[in-house]
Amino acid sequence: MLLPVLIILPVLAGLCCLGTASRRSWERLNVGVFSLNAVVALCLGLNVANLGEGGKMAALGGFLQVDALSALVLVLTAFVALVCSIYAVGYFRRDLEQNRITESQLRHYYLLAPLFVSAMLLAPMADNLGVMWVAIETTTLASVLLITFYNQKTSFEAGWKYIIIGSVGISLALFGTVITYSSGVRVLNAEAGGSMSWSALTTVAHQFDPRVMRLAFLLVLLGYGTKAGLAPMHTWKPDAYAEAPVPAAALLGAGFLNCAIYAIMRFNVLTEKCLGPEFSSRLLIGFGIFSILLAAPFVLVQRNYRRLLAYSSIDHAGIMVAALGFGGHLGALAAILHMAFHAVTKPLLFFCAGNVQQQFGTPHFRKVQGVIHVLPWTAVLFVLAAFAVTGTPPFSIFQSEFTALSAALEANRPWVAGLFVLGVVVIFIGFLLHMAKMNLGAGPDKSIRAPECPWKLASMAIVAVVIICLGLWIPAPLYQLVLSSARILGG
Amino acid sequence: MPHPSSTELATSQWITLLAAGMLVVQMLMVVQRMLLTNIRLFAIQSLLLTGIAAIIASFYHAPEVFLVALLTLLGKVVFLPRLLSRLVRRIGIHQEIEPMLNSTASMFLCGALTLLGYIVARPFTSFARLGNNTLGIAITLLLIGLFLMFNRRKAITQVLALLTIENGVMLAAIALSSYGMPLVVELGVFFDVVVGVMVLGILVYRIRESFASMDVGKLTTLKG
Repeated sequence: MLLPVLIILPVLAGLCCLGTASRRSWERLNVGVFSLNAVVALCLGLNVANLGEGGKMAALGGFLQVDALSALVLVLTAFVALVCSIYAVGYFRRDLEQNRITESQLRHYYLLAPLFVSAMLLAPMADNLGVMWVAIETTTLASVLLITFYNQKTSFEAGWKYIIIGSVGISLALFGTVITYSSGVRVLNAEAGGSMSWSALTTVAHQFDPRVMRLAFLLVLLGYGTKAGLAPMHTWKPDAYAEAPVPAAALLGAGFLNCAIYAIMRFNVLTEKCLGPEFSSRLLIGFGIFSILLAAPFVLVQRNYRRLLAYSSIDHAGIMVAALGFGGHLGALAAILHMAFHAVTKPLLFFCAGNVQQQFGTPHFRKVQGVIHVLPWTAVLFVLAAFAVTGTPPFSIFQSEFTALSAALEANRPWVAGLFVLGVVVIFIGFLLHMAKMNLGAGPDKSIRAPECPWKLASMAIVAVVIICLGLWIPAPLYQLVLSSARILGG
Repeated sequence: MPHPSSTELATSQWITLLAAGMLVVQMLMVVQRMLLTNIRLFAIQSLLLTGIAAIIASFYHAPEVFLVALLTLLGKVVFLPRLLSRLVRRIGIHQEIEPMLNSTASMFLCGALTLLGYIVARPFTSFARLGNNTLGIAITLLLIGLFLMFNRRKAITQVLALLTIENGVMLAAIALSSYGMPLVVELGVFFDVVVGVMVLGILVYRIRESFASMDVGKLTTLKG
């Protein structure tokens, strides 16, 4: 019963915002629904973890199925949605004060963001690969109007790039899905309905025609890879992340990224069963390492801190995909761990960037200095988030990156491991230079401490506590989910 | 492999004929620069797709494929072309500017893409099932759609290119699996395409308002 509730609640909340006129009720509704959703998702995660390996929950006659991997993505999405909804309250109040937006514009956010989240929650639950595709395409449609939220010339440019590049990508993914489905129809020879179900396809994937599966995986990887922002299909990402309002950008960067990677993971399982690990592994490592290496110089010379976050996200998508490509138990484990740790770390970076942008009124590094004198809490958390996201010990991303590196060495790919380390180190240096200059430098002439909004601080504190705790200790149910997910990926 | 019956053979030929028609229409779109004519060409292409779905539905006695045919007819032949034509009239830009490649070069390239489409489709082509030989055309539609998108700069033409790519995928779904996709997926895809074009329409209108143009080549502020 829990599964449909997760999807329906946000839709209802979004529609209710159409019916009420007061901003306070939108805010309450939004935060309330996402708190409830987070609790439901947490219960779901605990339940699935208790079922142990191979545990599954189903609803609506198997239409929705949640195994460990889906449960993990659901919990992460619900967490990101919750902290974003809390941050959004403070962020948009400030925007209203500064007259950047009107209240009727704000209603669009409170209508669209829940629909966006709802589609993000449907994608990992759907057992049918076609329905998963529909859910991911729906997220595009809901989020494009969030990217154009500020109605600026630049936001339309970003929105147009996002939807056109995304739609081309997603059409390729649909083509790949159709081809996989046709293999399923041939082998299963059953009624059309069953042959698109992932759980049915995995049992027969070894009988697929390898030539067909090769084309299908290539199309799917290009398609969902575009949505995940893997290089060279990443060009929409910096624009979209920089132009969207910060809570929406955080939903895209920390929430939606997982959905796209999740889709690639599911298809990778089918492909490995059909072709063995060699074929998909080469492609995944290729795209992954290329993304990491492409992001590195852009991080180093970046002049806009909102776009910096997009390049960091391209880098992390690359790490996840490359880890998946390294294969074996370690590779799968690294991919899953990285997905989880990245999703809980990234929102803090977005939130701090949003605070700085609202205070200084510019996204450019050169006009922002000495944040610590003006917004001390934001500056401290910004530096912490930068350390965490670049994989500095003791933060958790260090563990997943280290695991990925071990997987590369175990798979006997020393050159790839070297490139991986090179990319990660360059990005670490780039981040550190930018963050040190921006946060710690001498303050502006009149460095008066500005008040920090309690809503924003609350959301940032929640994320910071989770980041620090996960660095020291992984709760047993979470670890169980991660292990079972790695097992599903074939490790 | 069982020998195909004569009705099966005839049906298969009809499907191939209609699919070839879709390809011809696609090539006409590549050389056509009037936006309204391009929209009409897209409607014709969708009508041919509807025909294929209807033939398959009646051959296999599959009522849900009839529903898909009906949806295609209503959505892609009637509703979306009307929506797009209204948008073109409201914006008041009727002609595409000079594309990057001229028509002769474009035609040659389309010929090469068709060849490529058939080469990619070769391993999948078998005559055991109805309409399986149309996969080459489906892949070609996809490739030419991508080319159309790179070659043209008006926002509306890019939307049309996207829609023809989608037609290609739908053709592949019918060609490869003979029944088309499960109904729930077809409905979802249909819904997404219609809503997607509406969202794109809003964006085109807003871009036109704030840039005084719908030339996508002018969207170049964001860099790095």
